[in-house]
Order: sequence, then C-alpha cells, then structure tokens
Amino acid sequence: MTAPSVLKSPAAPAGTTRVVAAGLRLTWLHLRTRRVPAGIVALAACGGLLHAALHYHWEFNSGPYAQQVPMIIEAGAAAVIAVTAHSPFGEAERATGRWLPYLRLLTAVALAGLAIGLLQLGVTGETLNEGVLVLARNVIGFTGLGLACSLVTGGLLAWTLPLGYMLFCQYALLELWRAPWAWPVRPAADRGAWICASAVFALGLLLFTIRGPRTRLSDNG
Amino acid sequence: MSVISVPPSRSLPRPALPRSARALGLEFKRNAVPYVLPLLAAAFYFNTVRTADGYPPVWTLRASAIPNDMLFEFSVFAAGLAAWVGSREGRRKTADLVATTPRAAWARLTVALAGTLCWLLLAFLAGVAVLYIQTALEATWGGPPLWPVFVGAAGVTVVTVIGFTAGVFFPGRFTAPLAAILVVVINQVGFREALNTTTGGGARLLPSPPASAPYALLSPATSPPLVDAGVYYHVAPDVAITQVMFMGGIAVALFGVLGLAPELRELASVFGRKSRRAAFARSDGWLLRAVTVILIACGVAASATAFALAGTARLNAATGGWEIPALHSAASDQPAPFTPDCTGGSAFQVCVHPAFGFYLSDVAAALDPVGAEIAGLPGAPVRAEEVASVRGGLAVMGGYSGNPPVFQFTAEHVGTMFGEFNGIPDPAGWRQAFGQAMLGGFLIAPAPQTAPSRPAGTGPVPGLVPTPAQQAVVNGLLIAVGSQPSLNTSLIGESGKPDAATWDAISAAAQRFARHSAGARHAWLASHLAALRAGTITVAQIP
Repeated sequence: MTAPSVLKSPAAPAGTTRVVAAGLRLTWLHLRTRRVPAGIVALAACGGLLHAALHYHWEFNSGPYAQQVPMIIEAGAAAVIAVTAHSPFGEAERATGRWLPYLRLLTAVALAGLAIGLLQLGVTGETLNEGVLVLARNVIGFTGLGLACSLVTGGLLAWTLPLGYMLFCQYALLELWRAPWAWPVRPAADRGAWICASAVFALGLLLFTIRGPRTRLSDNG
Repeated sequence: MSVISVPPSRSLPRPALPRSARALGLEFKRNAVPYVLPLLAAAFYFNTVRTADGYPPVWTLRASAIPNDMLFEFSVFAAGLAAWVGSREGRRKTADLVATTPRAAWARLTVALAGTLCWLLLAFLAGVAVLYIQTALEATWGGPPLWPVFVGAAGVTVVTVIGFTAGVFFPGRFTAPLAAILVVVINQVGFREALNTTTGGGARLLPSPPASAPYALLSPATSPPLVDAGVYYHVAPDVAITQVMFMGGIAVALFGVLGLAPELRELASVFGRKSRRAAFARSDGWLLRAVTVILIACGVAASATAFALAGTARLNAATGGWEIPALHSAASDQPAPFTPDCTGGSAFQVCVHPAFGFYLSDVAAALDPVGAEIAGLPGAPVRAEEVASVRGGLAVMGGYSGNPPVFQFTAEHVGTMFGEFNGIPDPAGWRQAFGQAMLGGFLIAPAPQTAPSRPAGTGPVPGLVPTPAQQAVVNGLLIAVGSQPSLNTSLIGESGKPDAATWDAISAAAQRFARHSAGARHAWLASHLAALRAGTITVAQIP
C-alpha cells in the first residue's frame, strides 16, 4: 500500500452510505433516549381506549357531552408526546452537535402525526362525533401546549398543562363557549379555532425546537 | 475571652421527631403537588366555582358540585401526580439501593403516598371551604351538607392510591399521563351510567328505576339534583355511605397490595430465572405480609358489600330520592320543619320556602300585578305558595289547590314551564312564566263553584290547553301588567302551534283587551268569566 492510495478519498457512494447510516443511528439513539418506542405503544393504547369508548358507547351520541371522552383521550395522547421531550442527558447533550434541534422538531412532528393516525385507526368502524378534523386539531393544539409546558416544567411533568387545559375545556364544552381560544369545543369548520390551535402548536414547536425542554428540576418529586 | 468563659448555650435541644414524621415532613416538603396547585386552582375556579355560581344558593344543590365537578378535576392531577411519586424509585433506578435500608418497603411507600395524599386532601378541603363560604354568604336557609365532602374526599383518596399503585408497579415516564386519563375516562363512564338512572338522562330530573340494578349509583358523578333537594326533606345518606364504602374499600385493598410490591415486582422480574420461592423468601416478614393480606381482604369485602348494597337501592316515594334498605333510617323521610317566608302589606300574599327567600321579592313582583288584575273574581287565588317539586315520587307541576284557591308553584316548575330558577337567566321570561301559569290555571280550569278545585297536579298538567279566546285574555292581562307574551312561551303553543291567522287574531284581541282600563277589564271578566272558562267565547267577542 502506498501513501497516495491511503490519502485517496473514498468513493462518493460509500461516503453517502456512511453518512446516512450514521444519521439513522443518531436518529434511532435520539428516539430511544426519549422512549419514543414506548411512547408509540402508549399512543396505540390511547387509540385502543378511544375505540373501546366508541364501541361500548362510553360517550354520549350527540350534544355537548359527546365530545367529552374523545377530548380526554386526545389530550392524553398529546400528554404522551409532551413527556417524550425529556432527555436523560440534561444540558450536556446540548454540546454534542447541531442536529439536536432538528431531531427534536422531527420527533415532535412525527409523533403528532402518528398520534392522529393511531387515534383515527381507533375510530375505524365506529362513529366519532365531529370527525377526524376535530381530532387532529385537538391533538396538535394540546401537543403545542405540552411542548411549551416542557420548557417550564421539564419533559416529565409536561403532561400537566394539556390535561389542565382539557379540564377547562370540559367546562367550556358544556357552557357552549364560542371563543376561538377554546378551540377543542368548536366545530370542525371553525376557522378561528383552527388558527388558534395551529398557532399554539407552531409556537410550542418552535420554542421546543430552539430551546429544548427544561433540564433542571424536572425530576423533582 | 477564653473558651472556658464562653457560656453554655441556653437553648434547649429540639425534641427529635419520630423517624416516620421526619420522613413525612421531608416528603411533604419535596412533593410535586405544590407545583401543580396553581393549575389545579385555575381548573377549580373555571369548572367548579363557576358551575356552582350558576346554581341558586341552596346548600344541597351547590354541594353537588363537589362530587360532580370538583372530583373530576382533582382526579386528573391526583392520579397523575400520585403515579409520578409512586414511580420515583423505578424512574430513578434506585429500587435496589433503597432495598438495602432496614425499613420495610411498605413503610417507605406509605410515607411517599401519605405526603402526596396530604397535599391533595388539603387542596381539596381548601376548595370545599371556598365553595361553602361562598354559599354561606348567599344561602338563606339550611347548613352545609357533609356527605358530599366525605364522598369527594374518598374519591380523591382512591384516585390517589390507584395512581400511586400504578406508578409503583409500572414505573415509567408515561405512567402518570396514562393513569390520569384512564381515571378520568372511568369517571366519565360512571357519569354516563349514572345519568341513566334519571328520567330522560337530563339534568335536574327525577330519578327513575334503571333497566338493570342501580350499580351506577356507585359513581360519585351524576346529574345535579332537583333545585329543592334537601329542602323539604333531608337527603338520605344511604347512597353516599355506599359510595364511600366502595371507594374506601378499593383504596384499602390497593394499599394492601402495595405491601406486597417488592415480592410482586421481583416475581415479575425473575420470572423464569429464579424460583418463586426465592422471590418470597426475601420478604419483609410474615407479620407484614399477613397484615397486607388482611387489608386486601377487608378492602375487597367492603367494596363487594357496597356493590351488593347498591343493587338493593330503590326509589323513596316520599322524598323522590334513592334509599338502600339496609342503611336507611325512616327518620330521614320526615319533612324538614320550616316557616315560610311571605310578603305582607298587600291583599295578595306570596310565600316561598325560606331556602328560596332570596327571590321572594322577585316572585312577588311577578305575581302581585297579575293577582291585582283578577282579585275578587270567582276562583281567583288569594295566595301563592311554593311547594315541594316531588310528591309521592312524581314531579309536581304546580296549579291551584284549596278553597279559597291558592296558586302553587315549585322551585322546578311554574305551571307547565320549567322554572329556570338557576340564576334567573331571563328575568322578563321568568316573570312572564309566573304570570302566565297563574292566569292560565285561573282562566282555563273549571270554576270552583261548579267543580272541586283542582289540586296541584303531577306530571304534565292536563286540560291547560287554552282556547284562542282564553289565550287572548291571558296575553291581554300580561300586556297590561307589562309583559310581552310570544307564541313560543304561550300556553296555546304547547299543543301544536296555531296557524298564523289564529295567532294574529289572538294578538290583536290581546292588544285590544289590554288597552282598556283596569276597571273595564275587571268588569268584563266578572261578567264573562264563566263563559270564557267554558270556551264559548270567541276571539272576536273580546272587547
């Protein structure tokens, strides 16, 4: 072996493969540290719960009460997504490279999409009051709240705000509130509700992507 | 100053707290519940306080917000936070480390559970205090019922223990949110089943025997009671006792299961690698294990007994509420003594139960002008009084009773209309309902000279469908006293809407009649009352 042969740069295809493989491994490690596989199982459990609620008529068929149980489960799915924000490595992880914000962004968006898909899968064969559009709007809105909450409480307690807001919405639901910021109680065609939910999701996602969840005090208690 | 000259410290040594108390103090100090209290307070304000504000200040009704609304919001955070605390050892992977301590695992878990439960119960009682102080400032009769508080406290306790147990056995980051939503879904399922034990599934309706055994009564969340529940008759505590027994039994049984947590966890983890005997061999002692087994047995027995008792529930004909024969005291079926609040100073007297004294002046303002319009006519009421919404297990719709006639109404209904007493959302419509019910019963019912006076009816009042002429006179008198009757609120609209021409004729006759002086109206009524009641007068004949 000669020096020129050693110094010769490797063929382009091999390099791309290595980068892709490294990227996949990095992504997989990121997902594992956030317990995303277990989170997907939890989201599937939410879908199963929604299916059981619809199949066994745990919810009401019509009227304001009809949205109560689906809303609880949608908030639960969002809370699961928010909890995946927690990293076991804390601040030290932030010094490891530039890919962390992108991984956070991709994970949150993918999980939100997966949650909508799994919940809609739970609806298969049943009739969901207000349909998949309200389901999707609620999931993204609650997820935005959870991601924003993780900046304050840390990932492990980020479930508190989505579930707290869900409690408030249960009251708004029965009182037939029409304000756009009470988006979970609005019909699917309400543009203001969509704008509010999307804005909350976008803001929560943006802050979560840039800042990341709080890494101190998150494991108190 | 030398060391020797330094005076000894005069402060007495602080008495050492027992180790358990110190551990509890630490747990109390480091607990996660206080961080969530602001959120819980906001949910409490928006859900419970505002809902209770919408009710009239009647103790039983306002207190129903505790198991119906307050327990719902507490369930979310109680289950979630308890699961969070319960999963601490597993989450931090310190289970093996703390297993080396001399204290039993059960004692350690008990301290963590007690710290969380103390915080949650303190918050719960603070919420109850807010609710009850607010009610005490507005209520005019009665006192705070305690059973809803016991039911709520038992609910918070059982939800906390369920969440904590889930956290101990399934320590993970997803346990807390999943436990929270699972508990709330169970709450909602119970609420839906409980609504099936009320007629039509609506709020503020009378309970009715469900198709199956009334096990749904074990759900603390149900529809709000009648507006005057607990006013004319005391609320029997039978169902509340059963609910407390059921939830308390579950809590005790799960607490016992926590005592077996190390063995059960080890069984799960070593399954297939070590013998079960080895897992049981590293126990915290046979005495402790015996206590846990006894607790589990007692808890299961209590819950099973409560479940069986709920199956024997039946409707009480006197009070209209549920009673459980094994727990029922006949003393609670006796009417609660009271002295009615009445207006004075005018010929027409209006009386309400002192619990509803807060709207006596409103009712009097609604009825006095109408009473003056028909005063002195044959069959005209001399008094209006409020009566119980339930009699013989059936809803009372109000009407006329006695001789001289007395117009009776209930806190739920005025005539055939729903009273809408919950905060009087529409004062004009509310006033019109009173006037219309009194005039309708007076003009449409047969005269007392020719037939016995009709007692306060139960169920939809039959025969209260007026002829167009009767409706025109009712509307004319209402217009004369300042109301604006409409087709939607008129008695004639209850048996199918009349056609437009008929309604126009009714409106024109009513306007015509109202334009007369009070004396002229009274004179015409005196001379045509019998014919008007008999239905022989047409709209065109009304002056």
